[in-house]
Amino acid sequence: MKPLIFDNIDEPGLNTLAVYERRGGYEMLRKALAMPREAVLQEISDSGLRGRGGAGFPMGMKAGFLPKGDMPKYLTCNADESEPGTFKDRELMQKSPHMLIEGIAIACYAAAITQAFIYIRGEYRLQGDILEAAIAEAYAAGYLGDGILDSGQPLSLVLHRGAGAYICGEETGLLDSLEGKRGNPRLKPPFPAIQGLYDGPTLINNVETLATVPHVIRLGGKQYAEIGVERSSGTKLVSVSGDVQRPGNYEIELGIPSREIIFGLAGGPQPGREVKLWFPGGSSSPVLTRDDLDLPYDFDSMAKAGTMLGSGAIIVVDDTHTVLEVMSKVVKFYAHESCGKCVPCREGTNWTHKMVHRIESGEATPMDLDLLASVQTQIIGNCLCVLGDAMAMPVGSMVAKFRPELEAEVEAARERAGTPSLASAGAGVPVH
Amino acid sequence: MPRPEQKLIKLTIDGREIEAVEGTMLVDAAKQGDVEIPYFCYERRLGQPVGACRMCLVEIEGIPKLQTSCSTGVRDGMVVHTQTERVHEAQNAIVEFLLVNHPLDCPVCDKGGECPLQDISFGWGLGRTRVVEPKRHFQKPLALSPLIAIDRERCILCYRCVRFSQEIAEDWQLIFADRGSHTFVSTHDGHPYVAPFSGNIVELCPVGALTSQPYRFRARPWDIEGAGGVCTLCPAQCNVEFTVRDEKVVRVLIREHDGVDDGWLCDKGRFAYQAIHVDERITRPLVRDGGQLRPVSWERAFETAAEIARHQGRTAALVGGGASNEEAFLLQRLLREGLYSHDIDSRPGGALPLELARTLAAPALQASVPDLEFAHTVLVLGTEPLDEIPILDLRIRKGVRRNGVKLAIASPRPSALDPNAAVSLRYAPDGEAAFLSALEAALGHASSGSGDDVASLAELLRSGGEDVVIVYGESLAPAALESLVRIARLLGLEGRDGAGLLGVPASANGRGVREAGALPNAGPGYAELGAPRGRDAAAIAAAAAGGELSALYLLEVDPVRELPDRAAWEAALHHAGLVIAHASVLTDGLRDHATVIFPAESHAEKEGTVVHPDGRLQRLRAAIAHPGEVRAGWSVIAELARRCGHDLGVLTSSMAFRQLVAAVPFYAGITLEQIGGRGVRWPERPEAAALPAGGGSAQTPGAAAGTVQPAAAGQTNGHLRLGTYRSIWAAPEVEISPALHYTIAEQLVELSPADARRLEVGDGDEVLVGSGGTRLRGRAAVRTGVPEGTAFLATGIAQASANHLTEPLVEVRRA
Repeated sequence: MKPLIFDNIDEPGLNTLAVYERRGGYEMLRKALAMPREAVLQEISDSGLRGRGGAGFPMGMKAGFLPKGDMPKYLTCNADESEPGTFKDRELMQKSPHMLIEGIAIACYAAAITQAFIYIRGEYRLQGDILEAAIAEAYAAGYLGDGILDSGQPLSLVLHRGAGAYICGEETGLLDSLEGKRGNPRLKPPFPAIQGLYDGPTLINNVETLATVPHVIRLGGKQYAEIGVERSSGTKLVSVSGDVQRPGNYEIELGIPSREIIFGLAGGPQPGREVKLWFPGGSSSPVLTRDDLDLPYDFDSMAKAGTMLGSGAIIVVDDTHTVLEVMSKVVKFYAHESCGKCVPCREGTNWTHKMVHRIESGEATPMDLDLLASVQTQIIGNCLCVLGDAMAMPVGSMVAKFRPELEAEVEAARERAGTPSLASAGAGVPVH
Repeated sequence: MPRPEQKLIKLTIDGREIEAVEGTMLVDAAKQGDVEIPYFCYERRLGQPVGACRMCLVEIEGIPKLQTSCSTGVRDGMVVHTQTERVHEAQNAIVEFLLVNHPLDCPVCDKGGECPLQDISFGWGLGRTRVVEPKRHFQKPLALSPLIAIDRERCILCYRCVRFSQEIAEDWQLIFADRGSHTFVSTHDGHPYVAPFSGNIVELCPVGALTSQPYRFRARPWDIEGAGGVCTLCPAQCNVEFTVRDEKVVRVLIREHDGVDDGWLCDKGRFAYQAIHVDERITRPLVRDGGQLRPVSWERAFETAAEIARHQGRTAALVGGGASNEEAFLLQRLLREGLYSHDIDSRPGGALPLELARTLAAPALQASVPDLEFAHTVLVLGTEPLDEIPILDLRIRKGVRRNGVKLAIASPRPSALDPNAAVSLRYAPDGEAAFLSALEAALGHASSGSGDDVASLAELLRSGGEDVVIVYGESLAPAALESLVRIARLLGLEGRDGAGLLGVPASANGRGVREAGALPNAGPGYAELGAPRGRDAAAIAAAAAGGELSALYLLEVDPVRELPDRAAWEAALHHAGLVIAHASVLTDGLRDHATVIFPAESHAEKEGTVVHPDGRLQRLRAAIAHPGEVRAGWSVIAELARRCGHDLGVLTSSMAFRQLVAAVPFYAGITLEQIGGRGVRWPERPEAAALPAGGGSAQTPGAAAGTVQPAAAGQTNGHLRLGTYRSIWAAPEVEISPALHYTIAEQLVELSPADARRLEVGDGDEVLVGSGGTRLRGRAAVRTGVPEGTAFLATGIAQASANHLTEPLVEVRRA
């Protein structure tokens, strides 16, 4: 497969307008502007392009939800790439910022939007600087501003840097933060497409999704849909990290076997080690085991396996790490990042964090694993946004799939801490 | 925005069919079917739900996930389940989560026994905990403000207080700090939460995290009783519930009334109950003896006061404060029938021509309080709601925020509502007549396009929609009010539902006492008097000082403190041979000049009726027994009348009410039972037609039309125009309430930055303000928004009040 987004990605100077244009950059914007808006939107719908940020919602359908009419509408590009294990947007923005800008311009034209924002996480300072320079170049060249490319279609694009919070990657938390408020998720409905930024209809898409749009226009929607598999069309950037020999970003065709990514592209674990578990779509996806390595890597196959493709971040853990270690890191992250707005997430992540700490300090019993699992079920489905589930689902899956190992780890921790062993204490199990 | 149409739909909750208004939130609709859904963060009055606590999750057929019923509007045919296994599991989970960090210190918590968290834990929780981990800790309790203590360990982060601050009071002081389970309610930089409506957050708090400092540890729920009443500390007349323990008011809560207060209360109403039970309160009759006021028996007090019988034809009376309709009615009877005097007044701004007074009271021109929320345009004219009728400040904000009401402000002084206003303009103090005639002229012409403030206001009023409500202050001059009536007619407000005028009187029951006959030129019900008519307040002062009047009867008003021209009233009281007062606090004028003081009842003790500025008769009920030797005001007046040889025939307060109803034709048929706890708006009754029609007020404005702008400094020889304001806190009850001591303000002289620069005065500097030989000491407050050329001084305060000054121009310099 020939890469689309990452084609020539390492060409020096691709982040400048001159090189990007030489590579045919902004030609697709010209092409789109020559088409009726509806036709552009139709191409996007035909492509079957699903959101690359995590939820996998079809972009064309989302854009179609925007009410027609003369009210102010907004496009917001979600560049708050904060899901652990995900670093694809960073490379994309750093090396090919104009592809994103072109995609934004086409999407705005298709949805009749004249004001767009890129909300980038504050930690991406270098990428923010590169984007700012690229935006300035695009304005100067007439790809942004009043009447882009003399089409009469105005578009203003503003880069906004976040202050560093996972929750600001949640689309409504992002909107509040962009409005200058505390970044907390909003109640849905109303969905952003109806009432989003400044209460106006708002299209929110991930960096990779928008950067794919020029390629959809180039190939044509139907043609693009030929790539990949049914209901998971196109290519996907995958960030592979953890215990592999060649971690990094790879552009793959959706639907290839996962093994091909983890072993074929990333080289698999160091010689002599084995995959213990892997996250197929960021740290918030329920974990898979070595038995699942032959699953096709696409949205529906992952969903069928009880997990998700998410942001396309594969984290591989080999047999030199304990499950407890992995769980502890995941829990600590989400407890720290919970915004605190809704009760099950705020208290559930915090309680889970304290429980895992108790297990690690050797003060727990295997029965506490039941409690741990039960608390995760109490979180799932009861929260205001998906952050609570983002912790509860992987943690729940780890308890379910690695129960014997976790029980052994509980015992091992007790031994390390000098807590009397449960076997010698007889039936001395605390009653909860 | 006109009131939304309400469509009734049917839905099923737990098998019961319920009828509800479409779009009502499911939690509220469920109550109509006697189904209780637990919740913490939801509060209808706070507007948009936040869905944060997740306590109200229910199952709705056709939707796979559980839904928060606080944020789900009901639709026709909806089928809801609140008692399924899934719902129970979710509810148990939320209760368990809430208690992960909540300290179970209920036995020492003020909220214990009346705590939603307690109730819901019992009702919807599992009654056990699996948490063995340590809970979070904060330093506690801390003073969030002088009135409110905050215990952050108890806080369940339900958002209510923060939403109140940000979306109701719009003071934006309360925020969430930190994140996740470390989140806590705070203010920016830990500054105290000082705001006029802050106490509402105590009542909103569903746990014991926010407690009232004055009420902390004063009682347990089983020690107390609640008694419905009406707060008469200002004309807003909010409905309240007094919390009573052992015949003492220990707390004041809201008693939500959509037609009056919308379920909010200001901090004066909430905390000045303390004035009822302090040593400063007068609870025994006092008589001046050897130059000193001394406590005496009632017999002695009546004997001394009965001397008034010898001042026939030379007695005048003033009515103010929280005097009830009955007290005012009986007093005007005593005066008119027993003492042959019509010299009775209750309007500080001077008597209005009777025709005008009738027109302003006419049902066709009355707007109601809820109209403020649904009008197309609200014009606030010559009043500062925040100070003069605080709860309407919140109501107006609500209309603007939620319903897109367009707000216009026209006043001499910058208003707290300016930031919410579409048009905000200033006219010179005493320049209201000129301003209104200019507005009238602008309304009369087609859009001139001149683009000045008056023209844009006229444009807004004319084309912003038919429903216009004008809230005006009583201090407007008669000529200005004539103009206002013509403007209302030009705008077609007469007889229009949802539109009209809403007058803000200077005293709490100003409207009621006038309807009861406390006017020099009208009897009860604005009845025509035969000649001669009586003197108005200013004329009473002059006549008393000049010896034409020899006795003064002051019903809950100290004119030296309350009315303009302090010197004139000092002289009047000094020269009067007999000064009888009903008072609960010994203010300056009474301390120096009263002959007899009858201890007055507080609003928690009084039986009687009052009239809200929008015409709603409301009933005062005694929540507590009279402390000390206090007697009912109506009975004191009746007894005095009897001793003067004029029996009023009144043995109970309800007899006084019946006499009032008989005397006021437009009250005909109203009974105390009808008034009940919710009141009766008389302008809505058919009997309202009995109010004699007012005049046509046809004369066109004369020379008054002129400049609206304050005179430039040059024309006034470097002097500044004097404007006055009365702060919400400027009341004797506030001064003697210990909890509110922090609000007692010195004289704050508000200056524009330009004038301050010219006068070389900085913010906070001490200044001297003088005119005609009088000098007042105050502190400069430099405010942007104060028009150049004007200085605003506080009135109604105990020290250095602006009513010392009588000239329109003052000299301000650094002390």
